[in-house]
Amino acid sequence: MSGERIVDADVGVLGAGPGGMAAAKALAAAGLCVVVLDEGHRAGGQIFRQLPPGAPHAAIAEPPSHAHGHALIDGFGASKVELRSGASVWDAKPGRLWFEQDGASWLLRCKHIVLAPGAYDRCIPFPGWTLPGVLTAGALQVMVRGFGVVPGKRALVVGSGPLLLPTVTALASAGVEVVAALEASSRWRALRALPGVLGNGARLREALWYGRKLLTAGVKLQWGWTVFGVEGDGRVQRATIGKVDADGRPRRETARTIEVDVVGAGFGLVPSIEAGLLLGCASRLLPARGGHCLVVDAEQRTSVAGVYAVGEACGIGGAEVAMAEGELAAAAIVRLARGAPIAAGIARKAARERKAADALLRAFAPLPGLHELAQPETIVCRCEDVTLARAKAAAALHGGSHRAIKIGCRAGMGPCQARICGPSLQALACGRPELPMDLPVAQTPLKAVRSETILNAPEG
Amino acid sequence: MAETADLIVVGGGIVGCAVVQHCAELLPKGARIVLLDRGPVAGAASASCMGHLMVTPDDAQEYAFSATSVKLWAELEEREGGFDYNPTGALYLADDPADVELFAVLQQQFADHGDRAEILDPRQLRDREPGLAHDLPGALFYRGDGVVLPMMACGAMLRQAQKHNPNVDVRPHTPVTGMLRQGDRMLGVQTANGAIHAEHVVNCCGVWAPELAEMAGQPRLPIVPRAGNLAITGHHVTPIQTQLLEISYIRFAHGAAKVDPTRTDDPGGHAMNMQPQSNGGCLIGSTRQFRGMDRTLNKALLHRSLLRAQRYAPGLAHAPIVRTWVGLRPYSLDKRPLIGPWPPLRGLWIAAGHEGLGITLSPITGRLLAEQITGRPTTIDATPYLPARFLR
Ligand SMILES: Cc1cc2nc3c(=O)[nH]c(=O)nc-3n(C[C@H](O)[C@H](O)[C@H](O)COP(=O)(O)OP(=O)(O)OC[C@H]3O[C@@H](n4cnc5c(N)ncnc54)[C@H](O)[C@@H]3O)c2cc1C
Ligand SMILES: Cc1cc2nc3c(=O)[nH]c(=O)nc-3n(C[C@H](O)[C@H](O)[C@H](O)COP(=O)(O)OP(=O)(O)OC[C@H]3O[C@@H](n4cnc5c(N)ncnc54)[C@H](O)[C@@H]3O)c2cc1C
Repeated sequence: MSGERIVDADVGVLGAGPGGMAAAKALAAAGLCVVVLDEGHRAGGQIFRQLPPGAPHAAIAEPPSHAHGHALIDGFGASKVELRSGASVWDAKPGRLWFEQDGASWLLRCKHIVLAPGAYDRCIPFPGWTLPGVLTAGALQVMVRGFGVVPGKRALVVGSGPLLLPTVTALASAGVEVVAALEASSRWRALRALPGVLGNGARLREALWYGRKLLTAGVKLQWGWTVFGVEGDGRVQRATIGKVDADGRPRRETARTIEVDVVGAGFGLVPSIEAGLLLGCASRLLPARGGHCLVVDAEQRTSVAGVYAVGEACGIGGAEVAMAEGELAAAAIVRLARGAPIAAGIARKAARERKAADALLRAFAPLPGLHELAQPETIVCRCEDVTLARAKAAAALHGGSHRAIKIGCRAGMGPCQARICGPSLQALACGRPELPMDLPVAQTPLKAVRSETILNAPEG
Repeated sequence: MAETADLIVVGGGIVGCAVVQHCAELLPKGARIVLLDRGPVAGAASASCMGHLMVTPDDAQEYAFSATSVKLWAELEEREGGFDYNPTGALYLADDPADVELFAVLQQQFADHGDRAEILDPRQLRDREPGLAHDLPGALFYRGDGVVLPMMACGAMLRQAQKHNPNVDVRPHTPVTGMLRQGDRMLGVQTANGAIHAEHVVNCCGVWAPELAEMAGQPRLPIVPRAGNLAITGHHVTPIQTQLLEISYIRFAHGAAKVDPTRTDDPGGHAMNMQPQSNGGCLIGSTRQFRGMDRTLNKALLHRSLLRAQRYAPGLAHAPIVRTWVGLRPYSLDKRPLIGPWPPLRGLWIAAGHEGLGITLSPITGRLLAEQITGRPTTIDATPYLPARFLR
């Protein structure tokens, strides 16, 4: 019965975000047969998330760069690319991607794989962060932009990095009052990003657009502030906010309380590299780009022949980077398949976008002091309900590595497999905020799938 | 100057932790006990296994060994807790008429030791475990077995040890790189962070015990890895509440290996073993294969274990599998663990080679070793497990 559930293509693309779409579109334009797999219900990935068909349309204001996104989605839709939505990739080897779609087990056989799996929200635990009403900046955007849901009346937006601005504007244009928008980095640090932004016209236009939006919404970004904790009876009712020092350490004497019913927390992103690791791709730790990243060469090739990686998986960089790298990976594959040389502009553009993104991210380097927000009774692993005190006890007895902490208290063993808690766990539990996370372990299944899916997996 | 201690335990798996606990109880108060592991505490076999506490009634010796150990588990729960101890009992299942006859055989074995197991008819089985397939020909239920979460149990043993003796010093991420000797006696160990001298050194290195023996200039111990693939579901989906295993498991797991364990072309085998977790997950095993230290997943064997699990608990077909992994059991060539002194080198002790029963047997192992080190009479006859049997 599994015999029919095999799809063949020249190129298999994992992820229909900007990186995956750009690669797929260019590959199809060159006449290659492309299949794109994505867990989501429509193309777009995180940033250009489209409302599901028939959903009430919220008129969400969009920055100028999203015009590229719409053009890309339209072009992608018009192309010959076969998009398989609701498809979770759970196993892989070079030339093979196994996925579950509508409860059935499928195999995609292809000559080349392009990995464009995007990123996860970085979670920094603070007291009350697991209360209903506290959402990651990413989840908030998914709700507002992806599903047209208005999450509350009075919002607090906290975090660090370029993701705060779209979160604020998405909430504001959905009619939510943004009571405060707190950027933990200091204004002085942010100034370091200036040359990078000024040197890149598109990014400057983007920054100005957000500036105007915030002004119209009457929201003032407060630099060097963050949330100390959230409280409420069953859901968010109040938040305590205050100033942090240059490393992000809370200055408790500045604490004050505000009334809000939604909190969006966006402390940056962590590259999704599990699929690459399972395929055997080399990775390296680049803290400024969000953590462990897949290593690629100047043409987006990973260390494994026939496997390419683009976008956030190679380090956080944003949609422009993802699109440029997607086109570059496509060009490299087309050269192999068709002998057509890579146009010089394509490689230059990818390098330029990456450079600009790196410059921007340097201003928002992770702030180790934010790990001091969590209190002993604060949950650090949501799946297994592990408190900071328990994680610390595990680290003291079992050892100070991510694996030891996991073994000693189950943190990271739940359904998310440490995607949420992993990046902060070591720093939190060892009381050494500078500690980066260990390399995550990649094991099949990459995503939880039904036992039947594993059993019915087509061979190949 | 080298640091000194009274006792060094190398290897912080379940066996090393149990040895530390019982030595902390029996050695003089204030004795300096150091536990060294090159990785995390409970980072190897003891974190990649199932936690079935299994009484094995094969013969009087085995019964005393396992049943005494399971009692010590209950004591640890009473005194310390915190490791998801759950005395579920065990259900032995079968779907092959030939295997159904084994119910009575196993029941008789329990009876021979004055213990009791009940044969359930299909209706009684369904009342006890409604999530099982409805066409099963009954089962054998044994009340004495239980389930623990082994990694947490390691922590509980060490906490107990530190309550008895505050000088118990636990050092994860500290590899032992050499064994220090003087003539025919142990002097201590060399670690990455310096030498530690001690009168007694215990080798609790599981599948790596032969390496440690070689470091001490001794012949390789007769222990080889035997791989097992496991899969775990998400929370709140387990269709079962009792530890389950196929009755053929007895033959498969505890019978003599039919292949040469030192070769690496063993096709491997499987017998269904399923364990409910305290979070409502279900752990699915159990496969066995000799293939050296290879820890890559054997997909064919994993498939067999998922398929057989589904045969017995059809609801598992739709359960989300969140993770799979491979663990290595320390298989001793005569299938009995090595517990006791290594006579050629005074001060060198071994506690290793428990294959698929190391969780069950760790408390009694710790007990026997502590009794031997302190020159006490042993709780049960320790001679079948003396490592010296391999010197002949
Ligand atoms: C939650 C979130 C919100 C963001 N909001 C903004 C914003 O407002 N503004 C901004 O400039 N940038 C934002 N970003 C950053 C932006 O998403 C990225 O810069 C951009 O989307 C990168 O594109 P990508 O192609 O690398 O990955 P993505 O757009 O993340 O696309 C990856 C796709 O791969 C799919 N996928 C991953 N793993 C699997 C698997 N195993 N099987 C099947 N499918 C899989 C995912 O469903 C996803 O659709 C956000 C990122 C995140 C994570
Ligand atoms: C799939 C599977 C299922 C199982 N199910 C069960 C079950 O249900 N019930 C049961 O009773 N048993 C079960 N077992 C068996 C049980 O897991 C093992 O017998 C037991 O864990 C062995 O414990 P150990 O302490 O000897 O070895 P390990 O836990 O492997 O510990 C050895 C330790 O020695 C350390 N070490 C090695 N070399 C050095 C060095 N040079 N310096 C410092 N440290 C070193 C290692 O890092 C390691 O932590 C199962 C095993 C497997 C694989």
